[in-house]
Amino acid sequence: MLETKLSRRGFIKASAATAVLASAGTVGFNEWSKEYVKASANTKIKEIPSTCNACSSKCGMVGHVKNGRLWKLTGHPDHPYSKGKLCARGHGYATVVYSQDRLTQPLKRLGENKFEPITWEQAYKEIAGKLTQIIKEHGPQAVALTEDPRASGKFYSPRFINALGSANYYTHHVVCSNSRDAGFLHTVGVTATSADISNAKYIMFIGRSYGDGIRPSSVQSLAAARDNGAKIVIVDPRLNNTANLATEWLAIRPGTDLALVLAMSHVLIKENLHDLNFIKTYTVGFEAYAKELAKYTPQWAEGITGIPAADISRIAIDMGKAKPKALIEQSWRGAFGCNYENSTETGRAVAMFNALLGNYQQKGGSIFGVKPHLGKLDEQKYPNPKEPEAPKAGKKEFPLAYEGSGVATIVAKEALEGKMKAAIYYHSNAALGYGNPKVMKEAFSKLDLVVAIDVQMSETAQLADYVLPEVTYIERDEVIESLSGKVPGIALRQQMVEKVHPDTKPIHEIYTELAKACGVGQYFNFSLDELNEAKLAPTGITYKQLKEKGTIMFPAEEITIGEMPKVKTPSGKIEFYSETYKKAGYNPIVEWIEPKVSPANDSFRLITGKQAIHSHTQTANLPILMQITKDYDLERIWINPVRAKELGIKDGDLVEVKSSEATSKIRVKVTERIHPEAIFVPSHYGITSKDLRTGYGVGFSYMEHVPFDFEKWSGAGNIHEVIVKVRKVNS
Amino acid sequence: MARYGMMIDTRKCVGCYACRVSCQMQNELPVEESFIKFYEKETGIFPNVKNEIIPVQCQHCEDAPCVSVCPTKATYTTAEGIVLVDSEKCIGCKYCMVACDYGARTQNHETGVVEKCRFCSELVAEGKQPACVTTCISNARIFGDLDDPNSEVSRAIVRLNAQPLRPDLGKAKIYYVR
Repeated sequence: MLETKLSRRGFIKASAATAVLASAGTVGFNEWSKEYVKASANTKIKEIPSTCNACSSKCGMVGHVKNGRLWKLTGHPDHPYSKGKLCARGHGYATVVYSQDRLTQPLKRLGENKFEPITWEQAYKEIAGKLTQIIKEHGPQAVALTEDPRASGKFYSPRFINALGSANYYTHHVVCSNSRDAGFLHTVGVTATSADISNAKYIMFIGRSYGDGIRPSSVQSLAAARDNGAKIVIVDPRLNNTANLATEWLAIRPGTDLALVLAMSHVLIKENLHDLNFIKTYTVGFEAYAKELAKYTPQWAEGITGIPAADISRIAIDMGKAKPKALIEQSWRGAFGCNYENSTETGRAVAMFNALLGNYQQKGGSIFGVKPHLGKLDEQKYPNPKEPEAPKAGKKEFPLAYEGSGVATIVAKEALEGKMKAAIYYHSNAALGYGNPKVMKEAFSKLDLVVAIDVQMSETAQLADYVLPEVTYIERDEVIESLSGKVPGIALRQQMVEKVHPDTKPIHEIYTELAKACGVGQYFNFSLDELNEAKLAPTGITYKQLKEKGTIMFPAEEITIGEMPKVKTPSGKIEFYSETYKKAGYNPIVEWIEPKVSPANDSFRLITGKQAIHSHTQTANLPILMQITKDYDLERIWINPVRAKELGIKDGDLVEVKSSEATSKIRVKVTERIHPEAIFVPSHYGITSKDLRTGYGVGFSYMEHVPFDFEKWSGAGNIHEVIVKVRKVNS
Repeated sequence: MARYGMMIDTRKCVGCYACRVSCQMQNELPVEESFIKFYEKETGIFPNVKNEIIPVQCQHCEDAPCVSVCPTKATYTTAEGIVLVDSEKCIGCKYCMVACDYGARTQNHETGVVEKCRFCSELVAEGKQPACVTTCISNARIFGDLDDPNSEVSRAIVRLNAQPLRPDLGKAKIYYVR
């Protein structure tokens, strides 16, 4: 069909150019339709199931490939996150495969923004030489690797850094969910539960917005819950895009969510609406927590949060009555992923509130998912790297942080201190996204070696000594992804089209070859297919079957509602009181903690959040998505009309945003949808890499304004602990 | 013969633009050209605020002004009520753009043709749904036969009392719940 259509369009274009009436001597629509039907009957459109890479959800999708070119995508019907749907990012990010700004060959840095193309052989040899030298001089603990994990990366990246003798493996969670993860881990034993949204009767979201940070099945579930009459409360300083599906908006003062949860917990206990049976059976430390909660009255919380005490009481009571089909959704970054000094404790209080409701493993409540039972490589044939001797850098400073993610910005801190000497970044734009870009740049300059593996010249790649070009996710096979949830399953990312740029390589090849060059090739003596076959072995599914289906679920292994699994905390129970905290020198009981900074009458708190069309900074360079930003002026900051009026600012005006760290110019959206104390800036803009020609120069990055900092509990980035002043300026 | 139409429940729309991008890829549109536009309407005063998001595309009017004004009959209505453009006949005069009450027509700057939503007629012919419906993450869109009282779309329109965006402007075949 496409060919037919394209050739026809080409004809009209030519016709229009020569001012010839296009109607003369051409086929009409009906003939064309018949032609199309005939053509599509003869030209096979290949449908290849795979997984998305536009965000961390990695939804199942199907690529429609015609004549070797990716045409369009549809959501995979069997995948639990997509359920047949894809969001705008999911569709649009796939165009990265044909981006004009792809990295096409390995690059070696010559100076500021100066690179020369080199061969893979030279790149491997020089990188391996430097890594080996650094390890010899400073030990393997001076080497680190950071990524935004995807299926292959999750397997190969830690294996690679461990093979070098280092435990320093980090993920992007330091500016995503490090706080929530730590809070949940030390309360319910897992970094995140999931939620049975479609069956819930009362749902509260704190900062989390299904309509902005999208997983299509979550939105479908929420729409279904609303159809079933559920109460849906959004707690957010801004009326986010999930609002249409909500029944109530609590416009909370930013940074005070913990006070709200503490007060609601207070009300539950005071009104005797907590689930005493559940608490007795499955938890420890309730009495101590209840004692602490006594002082957190709704009146107290009203003074802090700005939410009327009557509303706090009403909602807590209604949730108590709706239990166990009532919950506070577990969130990701939301309001307590990495935002405030009190975020970890907010996460802990949320997990505890759900325990007070006794909603764990209940219909309409919080769910502990199950993982699929997958196989492993035979260790006799394929030896694992030895356990590194030195602990992961940052573990000493942040013992409560989830070790699997670590505290990625510790790499920058130790670089500045002269302790860290080499850093590898894979699918990670740490230089712009993880910490203040000025500090990150300074830190990178202290490192003896920075390697970036990416598909485009990100700000991180720009600062690297070596840039290794990967194929995009449309052009590669990956390690089998395990899906945990109510029903476990597996999904496979697979190649849809031939490599567009011949000198790019998939990540598993890059790690395997680099390991060989580093002298640790013995830990990578298997092929991707061998690895995937080993993983599949216990499932009874063949690799061929998985390739055909893309996503396979195991309904026989579904969790049993009402059956609590063993809680993976030290006590084996949900912990209202944490010995782990106590041993690490933290308060074992959640208490109110002030945010680190607070705005004055003439300043604002700068807050950020996702937009449905973008993901981190990785999508800003894609014309199909950035055009939406341009069409609807989505890069603007939000300001409340009362504050705008005081400052003489009108909708669309250009303003200067000034913090302790930076000054930015941007246009404003004056809207009632934002708390007067806050300025909202979407988190995807401010690309400074001139090699990203579409994204460059649109909007500003909130991270420029965030002081380089670590939250005391989880080491997260405290990305909302920022005060700014705003004034109108002339262009 | 079916008479195709759509219902959009704006109360479910989260303004995610998935329909726009999916449509652009399905129809291979240039990135600047979109068949679906989004209007936002904010009402109330902080903190009692409502934000309505209204996606608008060709309404496939039964009495479509773009059809009647087209000087070359490039715009026409199929037997199934889908308003289409024969790009072979379009001379790019933009009369239809002026005539359309919904601002639903856009000129393709690569081809000069003034295009618009086609209800993905080739997918519909295969018994599939338009791309915007298939991908809608909150199931806010329902497509089907308006002449069949038992179709999902007909039943939903009745149940939710969905109305055309501007009933005063003609007989549109996209019904909105607001």
